[in-house]
Amino acid sequence: MLPSGLPEIVADGEDLARFLTSSSQYTARMAKPAAFLPAPKGRETSVFRHGAEPADALWAIGERIVAGSRTIHGAAVVKAGDVRASGLGVFAEEPPPRHATIRGWPWRDDDPELQKAQQKELAILVASDATLVWRFP
Amino acid sequence: MDNATERVERQRESSQALFGKKAAKIDQLWALARECADENWDGTGAAAIEIGAVLRTEGFLRALPDRVPLPELAVEPDGAVSLDWIRSPRRLVSVSVGRGSRLAFAWLDGTNRGHAVERFDGETVPGPILERIEAVVGNGDAALRAP
Repeated sequence: MLPSGLPEIVADGEDLARFLTSSSQYTARMAKPAAFLPAPKGRETSVFRHGAEPADALWAIGERIVAGSRTIHGAAVVKAGDVRASGLGVFAEEPPPRHATIRGWPWRDDDPELQKAQQKELAILVASDATLVWRFP
Repeated sequence: MDNATERVERQRESSQALFGKKAAKIDQLWALARECADENWDGTGAAAIEIGAVLRTEGFLRALPDRVPLPELAVEPDGAVSLDWIRSPRRLVSVSVGRGSRLAFAWLDGTNRGHAVERFDGETVPGPILERIEAVVGNGDAALRAP
């Protein structure tokens, strides 16, 4: 068991929330694929093991850990099983509490553009399965 | 006005309207560049937007044929710019514009999906990218609008 009380293995049925800090990361209907692409340093995408409800708890995580001076516009919520079905991995990574990472993104030092194209295809799949949760509906 | 003059006038007005839309999209691009100018703009370790990517994106937008709808814009965690044509969550094309001339793109069209890389010379949008965009969103699709 992790310090947060969550199991060490992220179950397929668990919700993962990716916080959105820029209005450019989503449209009226969906989170854009870029919102799920990995950060270049860790080669992973940071998410939190939390669904749309309870909303107060979701936004509290966003404010406490991600926001800083930024505004949390909303979150893209996707099932861990859908991420895995895209060919990526989901792993618990605390601290901070409830934190997890999406890993296994294609990485090709010999061809960065092909690497990006492969990553985008996977990010599109994840984004198409995600549900957009507005903070300020 | 005679018919020919009317046609020219209508074309001129149409060109102005299109230029206006592109100009507004380019303004949006630069606003995004300002918003994402610092490292970690997303709170999870993203790189700052690359000015070279912004300039190349501006060139790409100018090079888009007028019949193609303008894309949604986003910044990617590595500092590249993403141009997205989204008809629905299951029908979209996403093009990544970085510093270099090779553009990564990927698409989902129902159950059909894929990715590729094409070279952009700064003047003409590569045919395979245009074909993919038009296959997914069609010409001037009204469903393709910013929030």
